[in-house]
Amino acid sequence: MGNTAIVEMKGITKRFPGVLALNKVDFNIHKGEIVALLGENGAGKTTLMNILYGLYVPDEGEILVDGVRAHISSPTDAIKLGINMVHQQFMLIEEFTALENIVLGSKLVGATLNYRIAVEEIKKLTHELGFNIPLTKKVKELSAGEKQRVEIVKALVRRARVLILDEPTSVLTPQEVRELFKLLRRLKQAGVSVVFISHKLNEVMDIADRIVVLRRGRKVGEVDGASANPILLAEMMVGKEVLFSLKKPDVGPREEVLTIRDLTVLSDEGLPAVKNVFLRVRKGEIVGLAGVAGNGQKELAEAIYGLRKPVSGQILLNGTDVTNIPIKERLKLGLSYIPQNRLIYGVAGYMSLAENILIDRVEENKFAKSGKFLLRLINIGQVLRYSEELIKKYEIVAPGPQVKARTLSGGNLQRLILARELERSPNLIIAEEPTAGLDVKATEYVRQTLLDIKARGVGVLLVSGDLTEIFQLSDKIAVMHGGEIVGVFKAGEVSEEIGLYMMGIERMGREEVMRKWESC
Amino acid sequence: MGILLKFEERRISSWIAAISPYGGIPLAFLVAAVIMQCSGIAPLAGFTSFFEGAVLNPTGLAVSLARSTAFLFMAVGIGLSFKANVLNIGAEGQYLMGAIAATAIAMVTQDSLPLIISLAFCLLGAAAIGALWASVAGYLRAYMGVNEIITTVMMNILAFKILQWLLRGPLKNPASQQWPMSPPLKTSIAELVPGTTLNAGFILALLISIWTYFLLYRTVQGYKIRVVGSNPSAATYGGINVRRTMVYAIMYSGALAGLAGAVDVLGVFHFLYEGISIGLGYTSVVVALIGKTDPLLIVPASILFGITYNGFTYMQSALGVPYTLSKSVEGMIYLFILLIDVLTRYRIKVIVK
Repeated sequence: MGNTAIVEMKGITKRFPGVLALNKVDFNIHKGEIVALLGENGAGKTTLMNILYGLYVPDEGEILVDGVRAHISSPTDAIKLGINMVHQQFMLIEEFTALENIVLGSKLVGATLNYRIAVEEIKKLTHELGFNIPLTKKVKELSAGEKQRVEIVKALVRRARVLILDEPTSVLTPQEVRELFKLLRRLKQAGVSVVFISHKLNEVMDIADRIVVLRRGRKVGEVDGASANPILLAEMMVGKEVLFSLKKPDVGPREEVLTIRDLTVLSDEGLPAVKNVFLRVRKGEIVGLAGVAGNGQKELAEAIYGLRKPVSGQILLNGTDVTNIPIKERLKLGLSYIPQNRLIYGVAGYMSLAENILIDRVEENKFAKSGKFLLRLINIGQVLRYSEELIKKYEIVAPGPQVKARTLSGGNLQRLILARELERSPNLIIAEEPTAGLDVKATEYVRQTLLDIKARGVGVLLVSGDLTEIFQLSDKIAVMHGGEIVGVFKAGEVSEEIGLYMMGIERMGREEVMRKWESC
Repeated sequence: MGILLKFEERRISSWIAAISPYGGIPLAFLVAAVIMQCSGIAPLAGFTSFFEGAVLNPTGLAVSLARSTAFLFMAVGIGLSFKANVLNIGAEGQYLMGAIAATAIAMVTQDSLPLIISLAFCLLGAAAIGALWASVAGYLRAYMGVNEIITTVMMNILAFKILQWLLRGPLKNPASQQWPMSPPLKTSIAELVPGTTLNAGFILALLISIWTYFLLYRTVQGYKIRVVGSNPSAATYGGINVRRTMVYAIMYSGALAGLAGAVDVLGVFHFLYEGISIGLGYTSVVVALIGKTDPLLIVPASILFGITYNGFTYMQSALGVPYTLSKSVEGMIYLFILLIDVLTRYRIKVIVK
C-alpha cells in the first residue's frame, strides 16, 4: 500500500429530495490498494462512487486527484482522470462483440476501424493479467463472469488507475468469484487501485486491504482488512447485533403440494429452456432451486405460475392438474408468487398500497360486493381497514394505505408483497430472489417470514442465486443447469461444491436425480 | 456541438395540474389579437362578439353546451381507454357509426313504434355499433399486438367512406335531389332550452361522466382497467385478464362515442349529413388529455371546448372573419393549453454540448 493518496474525497455531502444520502464523508484511495466500501443497501456506497465517477455532483465537499482539486461533472471527466466504474448492471452492447465493446469510445481504433493494433494491445494486457476473453464472440453469448471481464478490460484500455466495482460478485458463481479475486490481486500488483463495493462480509474480508463502512450516509468505521472482525463489522453496518443463523423448524414428512412431472417449457426464443424436469415440494418444506441465472429457473417458475405454457409434462397443485388452467384458477387453489422484479411484476407503482394489496384478490367476496360485471362494487372501507391492519402487522414503513407504492423503499415494497401473498393463505409459494437488493434487516425479515410460513405447513419453492440464502432456508436443494435438474440434495449434504453442479461440471444422472427425490 | 432539451418532471399538486392548462386561454387570446389586428379586424370587437355569442347570451350559451355534449361523451370514453393504456384515436369513426346507426334505426322504427321507444332503440343501437366498431381495433391490439393508433385512424377513414356511401344509397333522402343527406328524422331527443340545440343528451353525458368516475374508482371492472393501464405485468401476475380488460375498455369508449353520434343526429341536427363531424373525435382526444383522462375533470374541459368552438363560429358570421382565421385562432387555443400543461408538469432544461 503506497502512502500517496491518488484520490481524496473530503466532506462529501449529497442530498436527494427528502433524504440526506451522504453526510460529510471522507474517503481516500491509495495507489495499488483494494479498498472495500461496505454497507447496507441505501447506506450511500453507490452514491459516493457515482459522485467520484461524475454521475452526481456533491452538494458540499471536494475531490482531490493527485493532490489537485478536480471538477468531475461527467463520466468523461472521470475517465480522463483515470477513474473508471463497472456498474452492477453491465453497460455493454449485447449485439456487439467483446472486442467492439472494448474499443468503443477508446482511442485504440482509428477512423478506419483497424482492429489489429487494438487486438494486440488487449491480448498483451489480458496475458499479463493471466486470463482470456473471447474477443470475437457477441456479448450476449458470454457468461456473467466473462461480461464482467470485458468491462474491466474496457476500463483498463482507457488507462484506468482507479477501478470502481459495484457489487461485482452478485452475478457470479463461487468459482467465478475466486477468478475475479485472483484478477483483482494481479491488478493491485500492477499498481491499479480497486474500490470494491459490497454488502457481503466474507468477500470483503477476503479481498480488501482496507474496509470503509458506511451506514445511513455516514462513515462509521475504517479498519484494516487483515485485522477485521466480522461481528464488529456487521455491528458497524447495521447498528445492532445481527442474527447469523436462522432456526429451521423441522416439519416431519407430509403430502406433496407441488408435483412436476417430465415438464418441458420453451424460452421466448422457442428453444427448450426447461427439459423434462421432475420436481416436488411437500407441505411445510422449502425446496431451494439453485443455479446460475438463465438456466431455466425463470421459465420453470413462470410455467408453474401459469405465465408460460409448457409443451409437455404435468404440473399438479395439491393433487389437481393445473398444467393448462389460467392464473386466476391457480390463485384460487392457493398459489402465491413473490416475483423477482418487484417494481415490474410485483406492484403497480403509481397505485396506492391499498390498491396494490388488492391486485390478486379483487374478486374475493371479502372486498367486492355482490353484483355483476360493471355493477360489481369494491368495498373501499373494508379494503382500507384491511390494508391498515397489514401495514401494522408487516411493519411496513408508510404514512398510510393511500400513498403510492413507488414511494416505498425496496425492503418495504417486499414487505407489502409478502403481506399480500401470505395473507391469502397459500398452499404453495414461489419465491424468486426474494431478498435481492434488500438490506440486512429486510433480508432477515423476509427469510424469517418464509421460515414462519413453512412452519405453518406451506410449501415453498425458493428460486435463488444467493447460495447463503439457499443453504440457510432450504430443506432440499435442487440445482438447475441448462434447463435440467442436475443435482438434488438434502440440506447439509452439500456445501461449496454445489458450484460445480451450477457450472455443469458435475452432474447426477437422471436415475440418481429421481432416486434422490424419492429418498430425501 | 449539439443542443438537447431535457424534460424533468416537477412535483406539483394534482389541483394545480388540473387547473393550470386553462392558463393557456388568455395567452392564446393575446396572440390571436395580434393576428386579428394584422388582418384588419379589431380584436376587441372580435372578442366581444366571441363572448356574447358563446357565453353571455342564454341562447349562445345553450348552443355552446350543446356543442360540448359530443366532446363530453367522447372524451370521457377516450379517457377511460387511456386509463387502460389503450390509445383510442377512433372516436371520430365510432361517432360516425353511432350517427349512422341512430339514423337507420330511426328511419325504420319512427313510423311503427312510439317515438320514445324508437329513441331508446336508436341510443342502444348507436352505443352497440360504436362498441363493436371499436372492438375490432381493441381485439387486434390486445391479441395480435397491432398498434391501435393506426387501426383506429384507419377505421375512422373507413367509417367516413361508409357514411358517404350510405348517404348516396340506402339512407338518402329522395327529396334532397343531388345532396347526400338523410330524410329528416321524427325520432328526437327533448330540447332543454326551447328553440336551441341544447337537448337532454347533455344531461345524459353529465350522468355518464359521473357514472364513469364511479366505475373507475369504485367497481371491480374499473379497478382492473386501472391496474392494466398502470402495470400490465403486475396485472397478469394478479390473475387479471389483461387482453380482455383492454378490449372492454375500448368497447366502452366506442359505445360512448356512438352515443355522441346518436345525440348529435337526434338532438341537434335531426338528419344525417356528410359534414356532421369534421374532426370532433380528434378534438375529443385533446379534451380528454386536458381533463387528465379523469371523467370529472373532463366536464369543464368539454364545456370550454364547446364554448371555443361555438364562439368562433359566431364570430365568423357576426364579423365576417374568414373561416381560416377563426379556425387558426381556435387551433392556437388548443396549442397554448397543451403548452401550458407541459410547462407546468415539466421543467425544461437546455443542454448545450
